Amino acid sequence: MKTKNKFFLIIVLLIVSITTYTYMLPLFSSSEKKLESISAELTLTANDLVATYTNDETKSNALYAGKIIEVTGTIKEITFLNNRTTIILNSTSETFGVICDINPNQKETIYQLKKHQKIKVKGICKGFLKDVILLNCSIDLPTNE
Amino acid sequence: MNKLLPLFLLIFSFADADSKQNQFIARQGQISFFSYTSVENIEAKNNQVLSILDIEKEEIAISMLMRAFVFKKDLMYEHFNESYIESDLYPKANFEGKIIDFDAKSKEQQTKIIRGQLTIHGITKELDIKASIANSNGNYILSGEFDISVKDFEIKIPPILASNIAKTISIQFLFQYQPYEE
Repeated sequence: MKTKNKFFLIIVLLIVSITTYTYMLPLFSSSEKKLESISAELTLTANDLVATYTNDETKSNALYAGKIIEVTGTIKEITFLNNRTTIILNSTSETFGVICDINPNQKETIYQLKKHQKIKVKGICKGFLKDVILLNCSIDLPTNE
Repeated sequence: MNKLLPLFLLIFSFADADSKQNQFIARQGQISFFSYTSVENIEAKNNQVLSILDIEKEEIAISMLMRAFVFKKDLMYEHFNESYIESDLYPKANFEGKIIDFDAKSKEQQTKIIRGQLTIHGITKELDIKASIANSNGNYILSGEFDISVKDFEIKIPPILASNIAKTISIQFLFQYQPYEE
């Protein structure tokens, strides 16, 4: 009887530890690295994204904020301020653009980029100030352009 | 026509310069905050803070997205946005202020008081912030730090977590301005 109890206890402990490991641990670590393997929920152009945001910010926030989106656009500027790599994408309106904060693991790709080049950027949309802000971005280079 | 074109360009550039020359913009300002307690240290950074500096009116405006703060742990991010700041209701924090006795022409680093209103979590507070302003080749760099009290902005922290979060949060800022071009 006692051995049975022990056995039972071990099983319970095992289950508890596995659940903690799979469900609780992600909360205590950073999800920054995982994004690259997740596919985007929405795909659109930088123009469309900026246009919807300038039209109705609250509505757009409900649509895009917090979601992983993939944006196609041309590079306006690449900056390395504050040790962050940032790409700003053009939109048809001169005032507004898309600021993409690039994940440090994309370093290799950054060196291949030039101004006015067309690229695809995947990241988490955070909202809109004067530009739409995407964080934790990865870059997807079109193969034949 | 060819002779007139440069003239037109000249007129336009002057007309444009009139309104925009005095404005500087930082799209990638950095704001970080720290909470130090004996239980744990919490630190978050936002690298996409927008700020516009008007050197003639001596005014400054800052706006940031609360969800753009990056934490070390996902749980901190979640608590910050869902429970404390309530980012769905108040997605932005804003500051508007005036730089007192600002000398725009000075090439040397100057320390000035910026007096203005800070809005976080839907609550606006009057605030004096000490900032150092440097002018390098016509571009301004603004930096400094200040403290705010969690209580002032009616941020509710459950008693269980009270020991994890400091009562006063220290905030650091760094803005590198460029001339504002449309």
